[in-house]
Amino acid sequence: MSTNDNATLGKDIGLTSCPTCHKVTCGKSSNCSRCDSPLKIRDYASIQKSWALLITAAILLIPANIYPITTLTNQGRVTQDTIFSGIAHLVKTDMIPIAIILFTASILVPILKIVGLTIYLSAISFKLPISKKKLMSGFHIIEWIGRWSMLDLFVISLTVAVVNMGQLLDAKPAPAATAFALVILLTQLAAKVIDTRLLWDRLEAKDDSSTNA
Amino acid sequence: MEAADNSITLCQSCDLVIRKRALPTGVRALCPRCHTPLYDTPYCSINGMLALCLTAVFFFAPANLYPVLELEFLGSIRTTTVLEGALAVYQQGYWLVGVAVLVSAVLAPGLLLVSVLAQILIIKFGLHSRKLKKTLKQLLKMQGLLTQLTMLEIYVISFLVAAFNLADFATVSFGFGTFCFTMLFIMTLFLMREYDLEHMWSFLDEHQ
Repeated sequence: MSTNDNATLGKDIGLTSCPTCHKVTCGKSSNCSRCDSPLKIRDYASIQKSWALLITAAILLIPANIYPITTLTNQGRVTQDTIFSGIAHLVKTDMIPIAIILFTASILVPILKIVGLTIYLSAISFKLPISKKKLMSGFHIIEWIGRWSMLDLFVISLTVAVVNMGQLLDAKPAPAATAFALVILLTQLAAKVIDTRLLWDRLEAKDDSSTNA
Repeated sequence: MEAADNSITLCQSCDLVIRKRALPTGVRALCPRCHTPLYDTPYCSINGMLALCLTAVFFFAPANLYPVLELEFLGSIRTTTVLEGALAVYQQGYWLVGVAVLVSAVLAPGLLLVSVLAQILIIKFGLHSRKLKKTLKQLLKMQGLLTQLTMLEIYVISFLVAAFNLADFATVSFGFGTFCFTMLFIMTLFLMREYDLEHMWSFLDEHQ
């Protein structure tokens, strides 16, 4: 378990790693010697960008959940389903496994992503003393699981395409679909723009070895 | 400077300086501080990748053009393909949703396969040409984005969810496209397991 904690950082010895191709280059050059991507030793503005994207996503999460996401016409009777009522309907008709998948992908994951990123960004912005290792593994989980929210949109697109029989049986997307798509897009971007090296820099000064002795 | 560059690496997530060591196959080096994967010994056989890539390309067209879902309701039958699914939402005015579906299920996987195929062909036959090397560099730079946008695995699950959802109203069955799409997903999955971006860059480094 013991790893040397008097860590040398790339920026201490004047090296920086290219975000695109991972080549280690001299920190003074402005572009990567291998792929010409712009280099930055640290991207301090990334925290602000990420906050902005995250707050927008959090606001959009409200319309995404309270407005209907699909409109279904079944033999002349029109019903509108929100994300939640759609899942509740699945539970009622005893399709528990599908309900669990959809609940995870469309409700749990977006909320966890927004809460998780808020904690992560607060830890950097307000120097909260939270274990860096836990934050980082949480971040990797968020990065990986975030894309699964797309599941609901795929299901809607398939349903809309196949269920089009006018008054008999007809499914159409409803306003929450766009809001939901934006939530996914913005949270994915918010996670992508963060320069995670800042977390390890900022907390270093205060609690270096207390979290992982 | 150049000698030191190859023996050390920096963690992408926390900027820790790490001295590279030779690893046995199947082992991945993690950052000791933040546990981000750093590097592994690539099992990156160019010919194996070419075979997988060609198979995936072979399945790409039928996966997108044959029906993936068939619905029978009171005697009338409706079918849809992956492409029609994206266009249907688009035509209802939800263009953002349509574009999202189109990009992550059709465009990104297609471009990814074409890009990997081009990379393999350039590495096999075209590394002497300056122009092709430049193309390879551009393709490698886009690779990360294309991989992230490709969501075939999620689409495969969405067939099942949609089928169960609709089974409530009507008779649902899968089409030939479902088979092709699943094969496309499996081939792409194995291709991307074989693919190693750092290894691909190293071909370019060797021919500077």
